[in-house]
Amino acid sequence: MSLSREAIVEGLQHIVGPEHVVTDEQVLVQSSVDNFRKLQNIFDVHTMPVPAAVVMVQSTEMAAELLRWADEQGVNVIPRTGATATEGGLESAVPDSVILDGSPMDRIIDVDACNMQATVQCGVPLQALEDRARELGLTTGHSPQSKPVAHLGGLVATRSIGQFSTLYGGIEDMVVGLEAVFPNGQICRIKNVPRRAAGPDIRHVVIGNEGALCFITEVTVKLFPYFPESNRFLGWTLKSMTTGFEALREVMVSGFKPSVARLYDPGDAGLHFSHFAADDDCVLLFMAEGPPGISRATADGIQAIVDTYPECTQVDSAYIETWFNDLCWGPDKIIAEDERIRQTRNVNRTTEISADWSSIGEIYAAARDRIVAEIPDITMMGGHSSHSYINGTNMYFNYFFNVVGVGPEEETTKYYLPIISIICEETLKRGGSIVHHHGMGKARAPWVKDEYGSSYYMLETLKQAFDPSGIMNKGTIFPI
Amino acid sequence: MRILVGFKVTPDFESLREADWIAGEGNLADGAGVETRYVPRLLNCFDESALELALRLRDAAAGRSFVEPQLSAVSIGGSQVEPFLTTLLALGYGRAARVDVGADVDFAPAAVASILAACAHDSDGGDVLLLGCRSGPGDGGTVPFRVAETLGWPCLSQVVEIEALSGDDLRVTCLADDCLLRVTVRPPCVLAVGNAVVSRLRVPTLRDRLARRDVLVDVLRAADLGIDIDLLLEREPAGLIGLEAVRRARAGVVVGGETPHEKARHLLDDHLRAVIERL
Repeated sequence: MSLSREAIVEGLQHIVGPEHVVTDEQVLVQSSVDNFRKLQNIFDVHTMPVPAAVVMVQSTEMAAELLRWADEQGVNVIPRTGATATEGGLESAVPDSVILDGSPMDRIIDVDACNMQATVQCGVPLQALEDRARELGLTTGHSPQSKPVAHLGGLVATRSIGQFSTLYGGIEDMVVGLEAVFPNGQICRIKNVPRRAAGPDIRHVVIGNEGALCFITEVTVKLFPYFPESNRFLGWTLKSMTTGFEALREVMVSGFKPSVARLYDPGDAGLHFSHFAADDDCVLLFMAEGPPGISRATADGIQAIVDTYPECTQVDSAYIETWFNDLCWGPDKIIAEDERIRQTRNVNRTTEISADWSSIGEIYAAARDRIVAEIPDITMMGGHSSHSYINGTNMYFNYFFNVVGVGPEEETTKYYLPIISIICEETLKRGGSIVHHHGMGKARAPWVKDEYGSSYYMLETLKQAFDPSGIMNKGTIFPI
Repeated sequence: MRILVGFKVTPDFESLREADWIAGEGNLADGAGVETRYVPRLLNCFDESALELALRLRDAAAGRSFVEPQLSAVSIGGSQVEPFLTTLLALGYGRAARVDVGADVDFAPAAVASILAACAHDSDGGDVLLLGCRSGPGDGGTVPFRVAETLGWPCLSQVVEIEALSGDDLRVTCLADDCLLRVTVRPPCVLAVGNAVVSRLRVPTLRDRLARRDVLVDVLRAADLGIDIDLLLEREPAGLIGLEAVRRARAGVVVGGETPHEKARHLLDDHLRAVIERL
């Protein structure tokens, strides 16, 4: 028999002390959702079950005790740190869930400039770590748009990626070791070594688990030397995404490692580059960084490749540098955007997928055309490729729609989910992955079996093994 | 009723690199001022309010069987203004025009006022001229008053709300120093919009844009309006002569304490209590 709400709060207070258990109604209501229900948040309309409590986790041992208790009592637990998730991963899908908030664990444990790695607790904001690294002339190399507000635990849990990924990689390439707590209270540490071949790489059980398997308490990430004075910026306008993908591919397969490599379609380019790009222009841009020789060689190499595409017209690099300087979204921009939405009911959403070079152009065109034709009230449909690899790239669909004729609570069902559905269908049809870096959350969980195919057996077995009672973040990755 | 909204497209000053402000000093001799080429363009925020308020007047008329006002919009500028004008056409503005004067009028409020007054006088102009009360850095906020004076129309400033009454009358709410003024006005008039609650322009759908894609933006020269722009600028020899960075950093302390309770206690004891006691 499940515990009552009161008994859950009492149990939590007994374990961690009442000062670490938040039961303020407003906090609980706000904690029932993440940015997936953006419009509902803005209008303060909440439809998800309200959690029983938010527990401010102070230590690994406290997390272990809490999880063991929740496992025994069958209480659903939702781990979080910076709470910047966008795909419903932090939503409370069932009543009386408990939010385990790791943000109080905000200590930078060690910045090791000799071994080029930093160890932090899960609640350290990425910006804080980056600032500390910069004092030593180093960088994490990780720069998601959410850098000012996201925390390391959540970034690892959602398999995050940053804007300089083409050089530094995604978070999975940066995590050296970590500590995580499983539902039975088991604390596991994966040690920090340059590489290992001692069986499967179990870091990947934890990285990207989205709180559905364990609670991440500590991570160690790589550091890199920081050479901002060597940054070089390159940009072109062109009329065809197909040509843009070809040029992007050629740069990648030629072995160049720009930190930023992006291709914007005309719709998305219009949002950022209308001061130099025509309304039917795509924009292709690169940033090279690193030691001066490498940065120069990278920029020169990219220049030589794109010069062979007569369709591409080069633009003043200051346009790209200015854009680059204004990339991240801090609280000020988030507040301004919320106010814009409140007044106009014009909502911006994004959905990111990946595919090989042969398929990405088709997926982009098919999804874009279907969304424009099938979804009402679209005000902008566009996208860009922002993370490229030797065998393919991602597509970050970026779209706006007016919410018409329905309340905030129906925005997801009338617009957002049908758009996600189209993008997932067109991606899966062509062999791509339906999630590039936001995580599955609950929004894309319905497609998990299609995404994994026969390998779903492995994923499901992990869940059964590590979370046999099914208390970890119900509905995330694994649909209810 | 015909409503003409005059708006300005400005650089996104928030996005400027520091180097572009500094570079401005070097360019002053050439009259170039701050380097704004590399940042996107935005609607001036007060003008954005004005554009949306006009649309709301139209919507309200439809809902109350009033005669729907005819909306026009005009801006002074080159081709960079066009995307904003096509957006307004897609939103239902009947006419959208830009006046290409081929010169920088950023520091020429009298010239700007003359152009806007001429637009309002034009046969397709308006009975109500809506303007933002001021635009970006360097703007003195005199344009609406100058236009009103040129036209001989009354001017209400710091407008925050406009409501259509029966006939062509409007009930206009203005923000004064310590109160809100509600005034009933009968056009023609100039309304200078200030810090209105309505500050964002709605967004047209792709279908709206498709439906109005054949409606062209009017491009006018100063001469088309009977204006000698060179003469006006000669009478108004103003320009940017210097830039000085203003440091906005504020003193701050990190409030100590391990727990939220401790932090709250430190905040109260060390920082707030003395202030509260003084009150």
